[in-house]
Amino acid sequence: MRYDSITEAIGNTPLVRIDPAVHGLSHIDLYAKLEMLNPFGSVKDRAAWNMARPALASAAERGETVVELSSGNTAKALALLAGMHGLKFKSVTNRMRVPEIKELLLLLGAEIEELPGQSECLDPTDTDDPLTRFHQALAGPENAYLHTDQYFNPRNTEAHATGTGPEIVKDLDGRAPDWFIACVGTAGSSTGVARVLREQDPGVRVVGLVAHKSDFIPGIRTIDEVHQVGLFDPATYDTIESVTAGEAIDGMLTLIRRCGLLAGPTGGAAYEGAVRHLRTVDAELAEAGAAERRTAVFIVCDRAESYLSYVRQRRPELLGRPPRKNSAAALSDAEVRQLATVIGTADARRWIEDGRPRPLVVDLRGPHAYAVLHIDGSVNIADELFEELLRGGLPFSKRQPVLLACPIGEKSARYAALLTRMGHPDVRSLSGGIVAWRDAGAPLVRD
Amino acid sequence: MRAPLYLQPRLEPPLDSLLAAAPFLHSLADALGSPLNVLVPDRIVENVAAFRGVYREHHLTGRVYFAHKANQASSLARRLTATAPAAAGIDVASLSELRHALECGFTSDRIMATGPKDPEFLWLAARTGASVNIDSRAELDQLAGLIRQYDLPRTDVLLRLSEFEASASAASGTRVLFRRSRFGSPVREVDALLDAVERHGDAVRLTGVAYHLDTTGVAEKAVALESCVTVMDECRARGMDPRVIDIGGGFGVGYVADAGQWERYTTELAEAVLGTSPAMTWRGHGYGWRNEGGTLRGAPALYPAHRPTAGPGYLDELLAHPAPTSGRPLATLLLEHLYGLACEPGRALVDQCGLSLARVLDVRRTGQDSGDLLVRLGMNAGDVSLEEHGVLVDPVLVPRPGARSDADDDGPVGVYLAGNLCLEADLITRRKVFLPRLPRAGDLLAFANTAGYAMDFHAHHAQRQPVARTVAVTRDGDSWRWCLDEEYWPITGVGGPFS
Repeated sequence: MRYDSITEAIGNTPLVRIDPAVHGLSHIDLYAKLEMLNPFGSVKDRAAWNMARPALASAAERGETVVELSSGNTAKALALLAGMHGLKFKSVTNRMRVPEIKELLLLLGAEIEELPGQSECLDPTDTDDPLTRFHQALAGPENAYLHTDQYFNPRNTEAHATGTGPEIVKDLDGRAPDWFIACVGTAGSSTGVARVLREQDPGVRVVGLVAHKSDFIPGIRTIDEVHQVGLFDPATYDTIESVTAGEAIDGMLTLIRRCGLLAGPTGGAAYEGAVRHLRTVDAELAEAGAAERRTAVFIVCDRAESYLSYVRQRRPELLGRPPRKNSAAALSDAEVRQLATVIGTADARRWIEDGRPRPLVVDLRGPHAYAVLHIDGSVNIADELFEELLRGGLPFSKRQPVLLACPIGEKSARYAALLTRMGHPDVRSLSGGIVAWRDAGAPLVRD
Repeated sequence: MRAPLYLQPRLEPPLDSLLAAAPFLHSLADALGSPLNVLVPDRIVENVAAFRGVYREHHLTGRVYFAHKANQASSLARRLTATAPAAAGIDVASLSELRHALECGFTSDRIMATGPKDPEFLWLAARTGASVNIDSRAELDQLAGLIRQYDLPRTDVLLRLSEFEASASAASGTRVLFRRSRFGSPVREVDALLDAVERHGDAVRLTGVAYHLDTTGVAEKAVALESCVTVMDECRARGMDPRVIDIGGGFGVGYVADAGQWERYTTELAEAVLGTSPAMTWRGHGYGWRNEGGTLRGAPALYPAHRPTAGPGYLDELLAHPAPTSGRPLATLLLEHLYGLACEPGRALVDQCGLSLARVLDVRRTGQDSGDLLVRLGMNAGDVSLEEHGVLVDPVLVPRPGARSDADDDGPVGVYLAGNLCLEADLITRRKVFLPRLPRAGDLLAFANTAGYAMDFHAHHAQRQPVARTVAVTRDGDSWRWCLDEEYWPITGVGGPFS
């Protein structure tokens, strides 16, 4: 395959059969449309390219900025397309909820505007919700924006009516599947594909999947949010069902660990929602003794890598590591009390002045706090770094006495206990910490 | 009829048992009229303790200040004066609130003056030794002028800061838009402000900085708090000794008990606005949503009535949240820099502290074909300003004891609640409210958990309708005692001081 531009690689994604041993359906062949294999990594590549393509040349002439309300894949694709055409891209979003995506967008050169959070005290005089303000800015007289408007732009749907849908039909040897299952975000892919499949076979059943109302699944809207999408028409779907974040992660794990598909949570939600829906009809088919096989297609819209923090937040055990060596957190409170030597402010001052050798004072607070005020002559090793250091062994000579200090003497006692257990003969913790030191009127300096 | 769309209130002790005491509530309303506000002053002490528990968990020192504007009652303020001085204070936002706090027994070291201030308010605050939360450079100059002119004692001040966008954007790499606030001085002007504090060093002493952000977003508050730490460090570098960062309020209250009810209600409301399901509100009011060609536009002007974390839980979440630049948890940041924490929960500190009672005057069908049922109450929208604050929650039906039960009335029913003003707009709430059965004249409807902002914030004497009287109630074994709010003192039982 040889291309002149990466945009030529958009579309023509594979349709891969899911092993029946995995999904357990006996009368239905389930296929995954691997939109994650688009060059920018998601199903949105199609829509972004189709929406932007006709306007890019004139936008470049006028030096416009491409702008879209997106916190994810559409922004990613548009940022790359804008960059290829010498344009800037700006994404306006309701707070990036997935940090990797945000950083990736910054890497791609996107400018990101994050909208404010919800008001706590209702202000009835507040007429301009952030989105209204956004649209006002776009409509302003000096606007130099190319707004792709993915939630209302018919070219979003069209990208799938001319691409995704026909590809599915072609790969199923000219037939539409019996079921098409898609997550609803902008409603572009589900609407466009459904239109083509129904033209082929009016009997195809379309299942729209939305996120459970109290959950967050990247790229999927909740049942309330879909109503705010101009492309959304309830008549497109034979049924709308909701999936939870838990199901999305379950599905993602199945696709990754058993099918070799590196799918993200949205693809996981589509798989899980598809199997859940099809299980009932499969049982009915089995009961009726149906001989012929049916087919169903779902969309895997993007890849897993960008969602590790999403997984970490919800299922930390999936990213589990073996327990750390020499961890302060692993000590029980009783062990801390038993092992740690603590010393009050007055004794500590005497020790610092008269000790032979004098103790090394280690301040475990963050560097900014240390910079503002600290015990004269102390060194700063913030607790996170100290924890890392200790994993490798003792960072001080055993002949060097050490006084550990933290804000209130709690963390320092824990580390004193750990160092003692690691074999250091004389490490002490400043009782009551820097707070007690200050309250006793002992000197603190800034350099 | 469709399944009733209940939004049942979250009820905790002692509000739940008070609501079960129907004869007592009816005797109160019979004696004192409708509407009637009932407060449970003892609960505010428990709420302070819950906030203090979060402080303790994070090893932080500092006071929790009750934002007096949330409720003007004496009993709540007086009950607080009888708690540990180091734990709780009061935030007053007007001359009158300051006078009331002093009269209730707050010593001036427990009083913080905030909000827009007139000269009299500033003078009395400085005269008595309250802390002043400075809103602007001009206000600082004015205060210092008054102190010199009238030879007042040197006054403790905090600087309220605002517009943290720049630091937010620098920290996140993106441009973070903030909700505008009318209050506080822009943080970018802090140098000039600190110059002024130094110039007025003979008159004022800087004890800290403050912010108040009207948002439920933890991320925005984290940006503001970390910025405040930086400003405090700058103050230290100038040789000042500030001790406390005041993070304001906005910790929220959960009004509706059941998440499922709230989700179902809001979903159906959206569908009603789109016309795909029957109307749920008076004249199809959309609470900020509107239908534009089948697409939902606008934003719902509703308080998030069901919240998984609110009040102390929200404070805990905020303190555990990483600071955007340093990545250290905000509580750790405060602790390491040796700064105390002040906060001013209004609504959250009077969570479950009171309810508003209204007598049912009559029940009838509206003349139109809709057949909607209208329940007219001895109360108006100003007496329980749920609508004004976007709070959607059902009242609790408190039947008149001994009244004959009528089999026809059994079963859930949707009604509209009309007020006692001769105004088409006077609806207690503009949504159809579902009750377990049709109320009858003489029953009471109790609006639970109204002590924060909803009880008397908008009450007025329009049309010479009575404004609610307020009583304070306390537990007395298995029964309840009451007195007029103005007669409540924490040391007083019915019939004289406790022995």
